[in-house]
Amino acid sequence: MALCGTQWNENSGAAGGIGFSLPGRAEFACSSTARGYARTKLMKAAFAGRLAVSLVSLILVVVVGGFVAAALVRFSPGFDIDENVWNPKIGAATLAAMHAQRERGNQLPRFYLHYLRAALRGDLGESDALKTPVTELLRDRAPVTARLIGWGTAGGLLLGALFAWLAVWPRRPGLTVLSVSASGLLLAIPPAVLALAFFFNEAPLGLAVALALMPRVFGTLRALLDNLYSSPALLAARARGVGPGALAMRYVLGPALPQLIALAGVALVLAFGAIIPIEALCDVPGIGQLAWKAALARDMPLLCGLGLIVTFMVAAVQSLGDLVR
Amino acid sequence: MKWLRRVAWGVLLLVGLCALAAPAIAPYPYDRQFRDAPAAPPGGRFPMGTDEVGRDRLSRLIYATRVSAMLAPAAAAVSIVLALLIAGAAGGRDGLAGHALSGFTTICLSLPWIFLFIILRAQLPLNTGPLASVLLTFGLMGVAGWAWPARVFGASIRQMRQSGWLMQARAAGVAGWRIAAVQAWPHLRTLAVAQFRVLVPAYILSEASLGLLGLGVADPLPSWGNLLQDLQHPDVVKENPWVLAPLGLLMIVMICLEALQPSREAAL
Repeated sequence: MALCGTQWNENSGAAGGIGFSLPGRAEFACSSTARGYARTKLMKAAFAGRLAVSLVSLILVVVVGGFVAAALVRFSPGFDIDENVWNPKIGAATLAAMHAQRERGNQLPRFYLHYLRAALRGDLGESDALKTPVTELLRDRAPVTARLIGWGTAGGLLLGALFAWLAVWPRRPGLTVLSVSASGLLLAIPPAVLALAFFFNEAPLGLAVALALMPRVFGTLRALLDNLYSSPALLAARARGVGPGALAMRYVLGPALPQLIALAGVALVLAFGAIIPIEALCDVPGIGQLAWKAALARDMPLLCGLGLIVTFMVAAVQSLGDLVR
Repeated sequence: MKWLRRVAWGVLLLVGLCALAAPAIAPYPYDRQFRDAPAAPPGGRFPMGTDEVGRDRLSRLIYATRVSAMLAPAAAAVSIVLALLIAGAAGGRDGLAGHALSGFTTICLSLPWIFLFIILRAQLPLNTGPLASVLLTFGLMGVAGWAWPARVFGASIRQMRQSGWLMQARAAGVAGWRIAAVQAWPHLRTLAVAQFRVLVPAYILSEASLGLLGLGVADPLPSWGNLLQDLQHPDVVKENPWVLAPLGLLMIVMICLEALQPSREAAL
């Protein structure tokens, strides 16, 4: 700042002068550099703050989610049943000792700590129904679900953007009514029914996820595009004769990118909600089908392990979206 | 688009009346079995035919409308009340308690809704009677769906706490419950109505998905969800297209509810 002051005096020629004088070019340069530096510093601080909040919330998700999962597993039906009770080779005293030891281990705080420690090591327990480690089941099925969600989310966002663009850009009431009606119609169909129609007609299920997702992102994309297309900067560029491609890249995609990334995070959560019935009904061996089978078999260790992982992943994606925004 | 809203209200009113008058207008009880006419085609005796165990499809559709279209608003009301209570408790407090409640809301929002539902549903007995399954399905929907409206109410309550009129009321020594009931509620009512209108179609669709998965209302009580299970058999759909009637009715109701959403009205 001191350097700036000296430069101002030297270049503006107002040193020692009294009264008002116009600032020189160097002052502008210097003050704008200083302002830019301060702004960068502030932005870095804000980013660091948001990063810290995101990390804390992720840790909280693990701690609280782990507690809820452990409590659900601990109090699930049949958890306290010990098969050794029916073993005639074990004496009454041994049984009583085993029971006491089991009781101690099953006290919720101790059980929770044990569950959380194991979860942090990547061990989410063993499925009651399938007698297989939950992590192994997840590893086998995650790629199928990831592919379906990836295609579905990308397709849903693209379709949503296309319909939103049709509703906003050409400024034709017919196209607006068409896109709003298409979105309303798709919103009225349960995703599972949509998937069944695709399944029986041997059409790609990713498209069914995309069509289920499209109306759910359409409203946000339409509002976003509406704001951008009526912005003074874009109107001025349009008046200058800038082409539609350049307008879309410079004045729409660029400014909307952070919101689009945040929306992609939300779309991922929505897609995950949609794939459970889709995978279950269309016999797709993914995480959604696993969750459904676990629910039907009341397999709480598997269901809670899945819940913990899904919550963590969704929270991480949402945090990433917030950070980018 | 006033005419569209009028048509939507008219259709919803008609569906609501049919649902309420189900015992009077349904030709047969929903669980009456005609052993002489399983999977009968539509005709004079059964206008929409019968299902594979000989129950009249039309009667089951009318009763299903009663279950799905009447209980979804009830579940939405439960969610709204819970959300108001939780947001009121979080927004009305400073410090750790407020942050903890707000954080808990965020965590609940992180889990896809249907996932949360099936975890809770699996915790409870699956082989229940029809009435218990209805109460469990819609009760759990109501309980599991509080997080989103709570976030909306929480933001509004935090904004309200900074307002001059509320500070003036507190400075004047007005009791907390009186501020909530007389001063804050009129502001929150509009939001509550808007959230209710968003939740009702969401719950109708959720019940349909859960019914298709076999985690919703249990047979013999019909709901739109468990009537849609016929769609899993394409040969049945080809032979008797009337099995698509529940889907058609569900879509009509959903489109009418959509048409009444303020955002949709503005969009058109």
